[in-house]
Amino acid sequence: MGSPAIQLKGVRHTYDEVEVLHGINLTIEHGEVFGFLGHNGAGKTTAINILTTLIKPTAGTAEVCGHDVMSERGEVTRCIGYLPSDVRLYGHMTAAENLEFFAKLSGVSNPRKAVAETLDYLECAELADLRMGSFSTGMRQRIGIAQAVLHRPKVLFLDEPTAGLDPLGVRHLRETILRLNRDLGMTVFMNTHLLSEVAKVCTTIGVLNHGNLVYKDSIAETTRRFPNEASLEDVYALMQSIPS
Amino acid sequence: MITAIAYQQLESLRRQKLFVGLLAVLMVMTALAGLIGWSSHQTILRVYNEALQLLKAEGKPAPPNPFSLKPTLSLLSNMAIYIPLIGALLALVLGHLSLVDDQAEGVGRLIFSRRVSRSSYVLGKMLGAGTTLGFVLIASLAVSAVSLVIANGKVPTTSDFGALMLFYAVSWLYLMLYALIGMVSVLMNHRRAIALLTALGVWLVLTFALPQITSGLRPTESLNPVSSPASTSQAFFKLTAHGRAISISEQYKQASSQILGTTPSEPWTSLAGRVAPIALLVLALGLLTLRLVSQHDYSRGTSNE
Repeated sequence: MGSPAIQLKGVRHTYDEVEVLHGINLTIEHGEVFGFLGHNGAGKTTAINILTTLIKPTAGTAEVCGHDVMSERGEVTRCIGYLPSDVRLYGHMTAAENLEFFAKLSGVSNPRKAVAETLDYLECAELADLRMGSFSTGMRQRIGIAQAVLHRPKVLFLDEPTAGLDPLGVRHLRETILRLNRDLGMTVFMNTHLLSEVAKVCTTIGVLNHGNLVYKDSIAETTRRFPNEASLEDVYALMQSIPS
Repeated sequence: MITAIAYQQLESLRRQKLFVGLLAVLMVMTALAGLIGWSSHQTILRVYNEALQLLKAEGKPAPPNPFSLKPTLSLLSNMAIYIPLIGALLALVLGHLSLVDDQAEGVGRLIFSRRVSRSSYVLGKMLGAGTTLGFVLIASLAVSAVSLVIANGKVPTTSDFGALMLFYAVSWLYLMLYALIGMVSVLMNHRRAIALLTALGVWLVLTFALPQITSGLRPTESLNPVSSPASTSQAFFKLTAHGRAISISEQYKQASSQILGTTPSEPWTSLAGRVAPIALLVLALGLLTLRLVSQHDYSRGTSNE
């Protein structure tokens, strides 16, 4: 694998004449679990939207698995999985039907088999025949992850995956992310506010402050670099205090 | 990809209570159209038979049976009213439901983070809507055919059946127009309730307001097809009467009446002239839907930074 899993070079994005990303440069290698931290409105979701090909950067280039998100959209979408925050699928259809639909859209050769295998792997086969309209946030999130990994993507994007989950749900999600990274070698890019989880799951972190990437390093190096800070929360607060 | 999207839409609509409810109403109305036709047939026949006996007693010649002068399909004349009323509402809801979850619930984010192009998505949705309407109208056609057999006491001739198929083909085109209005309305409004209300507003204008304005406010014009506009003394309505060609609902009703034989016979070229504006509008709305989907920002879901 010559090219990195994710590479952003001078990426800018403007919404209604307001620039929300100010020329971001970021490289994430294969196999990393990357925690993207930042306050509300920092531009984290915008970065994920660019990397998942949902929006185009105003300037700069973004690549996933060596493919440009603008000119090679087909190749990019083939190698990514995406779980947005507050995931909602078709509520009047069962989990398995929803997943089968997304498996077909992902070009999976045997959608039914892939759905059964994925639900088994994620230990939520009991949800297969239930209509999603009756699901709790935690159940929706588990099926949401299943839809994101059905086609075994190389890079998994998670946008605020812990939002609305209870402590058990957060733990289950953490274990799932670690398994996907360990067993399937997936690179994980995760937007989050939950710093305690970042410390337990991520190998690398990046801090976005008002559209600028103000910090990026491994968790191990971060704790070494900031020996006087008691926790990742303190490091995060320090990073957020840097003027944008 | 296109068929996967269309199939998902069919499966999804099948389970939505609002859609199924409207479908049931349309089927009941179709059966009712046959029942009303049969009832009026029986009443006229009874009056005719009584008149026949009286005329016979007075030694006068018997007039021909009115039903031997009337086309068989005219028994279904009410269908030309029910389709623009119930059928168009059903199609609006179908178009609305086809896109609303993908936009308002943020499912579109997941769809477009996959190898799905905007054009495949739109074609899939249109195929799904067209197929659903096809199934609905085939069911209605079956009910109509059974009603005709019961009312007339005989199987429709090949030519009658061909005309019935033509009526349903024109109805399909007319209903596609409303399905597309439902879709466009979703794409132009961020809130699902406003989108549905906007589509209903367009339906009201096309079904009730426009036929009345172009006919000098004749109250029956919004429901029953009238071959020529009411004579009006006011200059305004004389002017608006020229706009009958753009009154799509009126064009449909005129075309339907011509096919079902409930209005005086006209050349088939006039039928083509009535269907053409509907077909052009369907094409225009199809292209508009494609354009709106291509420009739509699906990254904004239920919650966003």
